[in-house]
Amino acid sequence: MRIAYYPGCVAQESGKELDMATRYVARAFGIELVEFPSFSCCGSGFIDEANEALNIAINARNLAIAEKAGLDILTICSTCQGMLTLANLRMQDPSMRARVDGALKPLGIEYRGTVKVKHLLRVLTEDVGLAAVKAKVRRPLAGMKVGAFYGCHLLRPGDEMAWEDGEEPHAFEDLLAAIGATPVDYRGRVMCCGFPIQFVKPETASRVGGRQILDAKAHGADAMATPCPLCHISLDAYQNKASKAVQAPLDMPIFHLPQLVGLAIGASPEDMGLARHLVPTQPALAKVSAPAR
Amino acid sequence: MTANLTKAEFDVYRYDPTKDAKPRYQRYTLELAPHTPVLSALLQIRAEVDPSLSLRYSCRHAICGSCAMQINSKSRLACQTQIGPEMAKHGRIVIEPMRNQPVIRDLVVDQSPFWRQYDRIEPHLKLDPAHPMPVGQPTSMSPEEVERFKETPRCIACGACYSACPAVESDPEFPGPMALAKLYRFVVDPRDHAHQDRLLRIQPGGLWLCLRCHLCTESCPKDVRPSERIRDLKELAITAQGATEHGSRHAVGFKDNLPDAGVLNEMKLVRQTYGLVGTLGQLGQGIRIYRKKPEILRKPHPIQGVEEVRKIYRALDREEGKE
Repeated sequence: MRIAYYPGCVAQESGKELDMATRYVARAFGIELVEFPSFSCCGSGFIDEANEALNIAINARNLAIAEKAGLDILTICSTCQGMLTLANLRMQDPSMRARVDGALKPLGIEYRGTVKVKHLLRVLTEDVGLAAVKAKVRRPLAGMKVGAFYGCHLLRPGDEMAWEDGEEPHAFEDLLAAIGATPVDYRGRVMCCGFPIQFVKPETASRVGGRQILDAKAHGADAMATPCPLCHISLDAYQNKASKAVQAPLDMPIFHLPQLVGLAIGASPEDMGLARHLVPTQPALAKVSAPAR
Repeated sequence: MTANLTKAEFDVYRYDPTKDAKPRYQRYTLELAPHTPVLSALLQIRAEVDPSLSLRYSCRHAICGSCAMQINSKSRLACQTQIGPEMAKHGRIVIEPMRNQPVIRDLVVDQSPFWRQYDRIEPHLKLDPAHPMPVGQPTSMSPEEVERFKETPRCIACGACYSACPAVESDPEFPGPMALAKLYRFVVDPRDHAHQDRLLRIQPGGLWLCLRCHLCTESCPKDVRPSERIRDLKELAITAQGATEHGSRHAVGFKDNLPDAGVLNEMKLVRQTYGLVGTLGQLGQGIRIYRKKPEILRKPHPIQGVEEVRKIYRALDREEGKE
């Protein structure tokens, strides 16, 4: 399949390992990533707080770029997924549409509303399909217990994201099972990582993130995996702070979703950029008991 | 008439803090029709199996908002949740009291933290003393004015959102979704004279602690959509009062950051939010991250067509003229 690749800001900079892993996985499954150097940032939910119409307009511009090329969009970030989906929805409101068109039409940009925005998790589970994923596995992650951590905006509001259940999703666990890992069931999997208020009240943000890691740990997780680089920042790069906030050692390796898929289909830890994580991932990898095939 | 009964297994949270060292879960098994509401099942348990089970309820029709509880980890009204889908998904039904409030007994919680936050937003009209409401006469509102309330008048104050909220869970200072949705309702009420004062007072330790996780909107039995109204409050606050808090400074900083390159300049945003001195306070963590991810200091290349983004700002950003 061909799809417009919307990597988002973080995966192009501090979360580059996510971009590396995505490209590896896409190549392996025959997903052609079409790149558009004209895509802007999605506003990350913050521009939405400051000015809703502006936020919709910059995302309608992104959507229009893909529409012009006749492509749907692939995201690798829960927040990008949420913001682009929201723009698609809000553009159906006539008064919002009129405001946004007022800004876009003078630039020769028109968005007709035909682009589907799909996160990599959805593409892997629906378009590629779990059977095809399974068929490519060379080194099943058997023995590794993984807590899926969804990230809010991939799921909710459930009626607007219109994909998985907003509180009881299963796509991520299905994918983890397909690559041989053992998914861990815990309440925190659909909770917040704390990222949005990291700049508002860091102690609270870290407590929110720390709680979810503790919860995964209490349910036996050797590692957590996330489809969102912002969750990754909260849970990995700020795990030292989370640990302090919940007053408990955490030592929880945090993987990006495509890193685990990549490792299972034969990628090396170097290919997946695992050395770029702040929390070492080796203890989780050491749990993998199955031999490569 | 007993066709189509299904075996339903309930694991119900039991706890009497005056007697029990810790909570326990008690298993009850009933044969019920799949459309049976959880509340009816619990009342049947109490009537026929175990009269000591404590719970709150009243109307049984999702109007009074008394029977909010955690049903298989979701905040729900027991009267509005059928057992069939829960059994199909989970194979059992775990019933727990609402979260974020102390348990009085079994499924009954002490809701005073929730009501204290409601009081905090002063949930009554504050009229302009110079223009008191005419006594004995109706006041009218235009359809457009009524429209601005959106779904907020539907709120029955059941507390399901408060129980679901991870910000409340980690920070008791956060007013919670219900109080903020109610606040919104007063801030858009044309009869209320204290809009600006309300917005000003809710910002420190309040509005900006929302995590935008939308769990409140997901759990609300009346589709009040508190997370979306909290977003509206933030935009109203910024529009009327500018960036006065870390939260609003971050939102406005992010917005103002984008026209530079069309993508985010992470380092610049840290300065915009914290100021120079605050940024120095982030130095230790910054160095830790930089060692693994040196890109955090890189100034991003402008996207192709960044001029288009700037023109969109000129058309829609209220503050564009100030730069």
